[in-house]
This record gives sequence, structure tokens and C-alpha cells, in this order.
Amino acid sequence: MSVCTDKFRMTAEAMARLHGFEGYRFVTVAHPIASLELPELANLAAGALDEVLAILGVTR
Amino acid sequence: MTGDTTAGDTTAGDTTAGDATAGDATAVDTLIDHRQVRRAIEHYYEQGFTDGLPVVPPTESYLAEFLAQVDRSPDEVVATMPHLNRQCTVRVAAINSIMAGCLPEYFPVVVAILDALRVDVGARGATRFSSGLWQSTTGTVPITVVNGPVRLRLGFNCQGNIFGPGFRPNATIGRTLRLIALNALGLKPHVLDQSTQGTPAKYTCCVAENEEESPWEPLSVEAGYGPDASTVSFMMMRSTMHIEARSATRPEHLLNDVANSVGRTGVLYSEKTACLVVVSPEHAQLLASQGWGKNDVKEYLAANAQCTREALERAGKTGISRDMHWLVPSDHPDALAGEEPHFELRGGTEVHHVLSSPDDVVVIVAGAANAGVSTVVELMGGSSAPSGRGGGRVPAMSEILLRGASA
Repeated sequence: MSVCTDKFRMTAEAMARLHGFEGYRFVTVAHPIASLELPELANLAAGALDEVLAILGVTR
Repeated sequence: MTGDTTAGDTTAGDTTAGDATAGDATAVDTLIDHRQVRRAIEHYYEQGFTDGLPVVPPTESYLAEFLAQVDRSPDEVVATMPHLNRQCTVRVAAINSIMAGCLPEYFPVVVAILDALRVDVGARGATRFSSGLWQSTTGTVPITVVNGPVRLRLGFNCQGNIFGPGFRPNATIGRTLRLIALNALGLKPHVLDQSTQGTPAKYTCCVAENEEESPWEPLSVEAGYGPDASTVSFMMMRSTMHIEARSATRPEHLLNDVANSVGRTGVLYSEKTACLVVVSPEHAQLLASQGWGKNDVKEYLAANAQCTREALERAGKTGISRDMHWLVPSDHPDALAGEEPHFELRGGTEVHHVLSSPDDVVVIVAGAANAGVSTVVELMGGSSAPSGRGGGRVPAMSEILLRGASA
């Protein structure tokens, strides 16, 4: 399960293609994260949770 | 017109250019069809095979001239980037050399650089090519240093404007490495090359040591090669910084100026850095005339390249992050509790040493002997690996084997 920021989507898709996994599903969150405070990070994580679980095949 | 001389990996108008003498290029119009030349150049743009500048269209016959310069199979893989599933053969390297504007006799230098890139640099078998540094947001870029008789034989510039234009071997061999990265390894900007800003050195960065005006042994000899050997060394650089010390008369003054630059807070994403110091002949003579050798320079810089706690605090870099061990504000969410860079008390001030040891300093002499101007090249991570023949810690290095003659 991969999570990256949206600014790296193109690179992540290219990497997946190079390894033969065209269409590999991963989650992106808004860039940046390195300069966020903890509450902002928690919000990002909460916002991404449904998508993460969907990719993992987990239903809530 | 161009045959199957594709530049990628194996897996996968006006002709006057300036002054009146350059105008003589119009004579070419009597030999070839200008539209065909233009079409060939545009073809390579359309294929995405350029660095933004026009390339020389390769042909099979010209390619054969390049391949004849080395005792290597055209199908031999000379560069691999396993994490990207990409590779480059001798043949593809030659095609990119042509496109970069190399002469055939330069090709052994290109091959030697690619060999140097395969030098094992770590206990886990990592090589320079398997490193993600080629794709880094930092915009890390290869810098190669040429030593030995090949410099004079091929006409490398080592005596002035060494990072600048005007000399075909420096310009085109450095450019070849970038074209290989773009075309064979697929490191296209915005896609697999994630550089936030990059550096002008991404177009080309190949320097030669000014051995004739250096008081010290060349880098190749330091690494254990004989004085008649021609070599290339390879490092990953971030940026170049001028050191203006035109009136220095004492080694300590000069090296404190260098150390202050090496120890700037902006270079530190983690606790330590590494550097290549390109000492101008004037500065090298100043140091040598007062008994300083290369090792003295390295040891002095390792002991004195530092920044104060106050400077790091002002830059928000007194915390250490959890997994990457990057410098972050001490109150950053990812900062390890109670962890900070190592400080020691010096003259009543807390300072942090930015170099782990003298091994993280590489020293060469290059440039014109016309001013007290040197350069610090900031390197990514540890600069050296135990690849020297004498067991010394030097950059990844390889000997240039020229066919049919001593290099």
C-alpha cells in the first residue's frame, strides 16, 4: 500500500509502468506534508483513510 | 537517414552562427540538403531524445567509428538502473555520444565514466547508478574529473573557465552522460527526474585537473594509479560555490573562508555533508609554498567546517526526524524527542561539525592561475568509497583505455 503526495503522482505512475504494473492503485494526499503541523497531518490521514481501505479491500 | 540508431534503452535556417568565419558554414549547403539536416534535427526533438538543445543525428557509419574505439561488445550492458528496470549498452552509449557532439576518440572516456559508475560503493553492493540520487528532488547531478595524459591528447580544458563553455571534450562528454540519463535510463524531467529546481550543471559537468600547474599529486595518483594513467572520477554534486579569496596570504585565512562556506546551514538536509574543493592554481601554490599538502587541507576542513547552534536554531534545524534523520525544527511533529545534532564547545560557542572526517573532502586543482578564486562543489552524501588502488578513500574512478595508443 503506497501513499504519496499529489506532486509525485506522475512519477509514481511511471515507476509502476516500468515494473509492469500499469494502473497500480495508490493513494495521494495534498502536497506538501513535510511542513505541516500534527493536526494538519492527522486531517490529511483521516481524509485518505477511506481510499486506503478501499484499495486494501476493507469495507467499514 | 538515421537507420535504427535510436537513442533509448535496449529494453525498451540560418547556418551562420556569429562572426564572419562562422558564416563559412554556408559552404555546407553545397554538399548536403539543408532541409534534410533540419528534418533530422527536428526528428530527434519529436522523439524526445534531446536535452533541449539540438543533437547531432547519428548514422550507422558514424556509429561504427565510435564502436571501433573500444574493445567492448556493442551489446554489453554498461549501465543499469535496476529499480527503474532500465539499462544502457555500449551501442546506446555510443549513439548518445554522437548526439551530444562527441568525436569518436572521446568514446573511451565515456565508457570509462560508465565503468566508474558501476564501482561498488557500499557493503550492500550499491552502485552509483542504483542510487535514487539520479532522481532526487535536490537535483543531484554527476560531475566527472579527468586526469592523466588523455587531457592533453584530447584537448580537455583545465586551465580557465573550467565550469564554462568553449571546449568540446568537456562539453560533449559531460552532455553525453545527461543524454544517457534522459534517453537510456528514462530520467525525464517532470516524470522520473523529480528535481525541484536542478542545476545548470545538468546540461554538462566534466572538468579536468590542471596537473601542470598543481603543486600536488593528481587525484588519479592519489588513488593509486601511475602518473601515466588516464582516469575519470565520478561524484554526485549539488551545487558550486565560489570562494573569493583574492588577497589571502595565509593558508588558515584561505581555508577558514572555504570552511565557512562548506559549513553553511543551507546545505544541510542531514547532519553531515561532503565536498569537492576545486582549488585554483594560485591558491594551491599559496598552500603548498607554506608546506600544506592535500591531506593537510582535508584535515583542516574536517576540523573547521562547522556551524553554530545559534545558526542552526535560526534555520530551524536543531531537531532530527524519525526515519530519514533529516534536520527539522526541534518542535516538528516528526522530530525525535531529545535528539539533536552533535555539538561541541569551541571557544565558548557550541558548534556542529558538518564533515564526518577528512575522507569527505576531495581536493583537485583546476582553473587559470590568474586569481585567488576557488570553488566548493557540494556533494551529495559521502563523497568517497574505498575504491583507490592503494586502499585510499577516493571517488568512484576508472581508467581510460584508448585503443592503439597509450592514453
